[in-house]
Amino acid sequence: MGPEGALTHIPRLRRYARLLTGDASRADDLVQDTLERACHKWSLWRPREDGSGLRGWLLSLMHNLYLNQVRDQVHERQAVELDEGNEPSHDPFLHTPERLDLEQALRQLSPALREVVLLVCVEELPYAEAAQVLGVPVGTVMSRLSRGREQLRHLMDGGAPVQTRTHRLKIVK
Amino acid sequence: MTPDNPTPVTDAELHAWVDGQLLPEFVPVVSDWLLQHPDAAARVQAWQAQRLGLQALQRGVLDEPVPLALARATRPRRSRPWLQGLVASLMLGLGFAGGWWLRPVDTPLAGAGEPGFVQEARVAHAVYVPEKRHAVEVGAQEQAHLVQWLSRRLGTPLKAPLLEDQGFGLMGGRLLPGQAGEPRALFMYENPAAGRITLHVSVLPGDAAPAPAAFRFARVGQTDTFYWVEGSLGYALSGDLPRERLAQLAEAVYRQLQQPG
Repeated sequence: MGPEGALTHIPRLRRYARLLTGDASRADDLVQDTLERACHKWSLWRPREDGSGLRGWLLSLMHNLYLNQVRDQVHERQAVELDEGNEPSHDPFLHTPERLDLEQALRQLSPALREVVLLVCVEELPYAEAAQVLGVPVGTVMSRLSRGREQLRHLMDGGAPVQTRTHRLKIVK
Repeated sequence: MTPDNPTPVTDAELHAWVDGQLLPEFVPVVSDWLLQHPDAAARVQAWQAQRLGLQALQRGVLDEPVPLALARATRPRRSRPWLQGLVASLMLGLGFAGGWWLRPVDTPLAGAGEPGFVQEARVAHAVYVPEKRHAVEVGAQEQAHLVQWLSRRLGTPLKAPLLEDQGFGLMGGRLLPGQAGEPRALFMYENPAAGRITLHVSVLPGDAAPAPAAFRFARVGQTDTFYWVEGSLGYALSGDLPRERLAQLAEAVYRQLQQPG
């Protein structure tokens, strides 16, 4: 099979990316980058004997690309904070509605928790496969799943995220 | 936890219970335990609701046609023209030197050319689609007979996928001769606005080393053909439709053929 084999996976990849990024056009860009990378690295993919495993491989390529994006965003956000100080209107957590619907709540999760929740619940991957996609031990998948589910429950009950937020960069003048 | 000593049910086991990833023998054990622990049961119930809720999010995307840019991204970029020229002349040199040009060109699924059945499918499409009164030999009203008959002639169980969801009704089908006289099946579908599409099914010779399913496009004139190989069968879906639309139909066909029974 050549990279065209990825074609049948596109609809699911699009849905996954959309839930991951929360934005339709960003999601399609991510899928496109994933497919281009898959073509580029095609010779590195080792199919299992029954030809399966392509979806997992595509998901792991997407995970790496997404991780890079998130890192870049963190840098951008820090740059914005440096420019604009601690203006409260730029705090995405400030206006947390009392109750969130599931999609909004999902967006409030940290990327690492959101990925695990989506891989297990929506993509229905076995835990071991989710661990492979993310390149972490199964134990990490289980603890992230547990935290992700509890945070979602909390958010939908009207609570703030349970996680202790990472401290934002302070400006030292 | 063991089936005999169920007391400490772990968090991980509760998750596995929700996700259907618990070993079957532990499922009733955890279920019983949950009956006695209402707090945990409420938590688990919320997880289950979340799981179902998440699965329902953005479901519509699954039925959307694949954007062309994404379908194209699955094809490796072409190498530069001068490089292609170089490769071609090298191949030609090697070919003449090694008698390569004497080999038959119609090797099934040879990397460069398209398989022979695609050509057959295109011809069948062009010949029968414009036919007004005799587009099919056996009509959809005799669907069971049609499928049985074609299965018997091709020597393998076939299915006539249903595309009503996609707006295409099955008209019926016919038996056709292949390039070497082998039996082929053709199913025809119609949409009042978009016209007709055909699904051509071929049994490939055993030595064709069937690859896992991979979709490929071919376009000749107005007709797009979307073809793939599954097991020993070659499928070609042809239509005079936008490629995205045809890809969506092919996806629906492919999915139905994957379903057992």
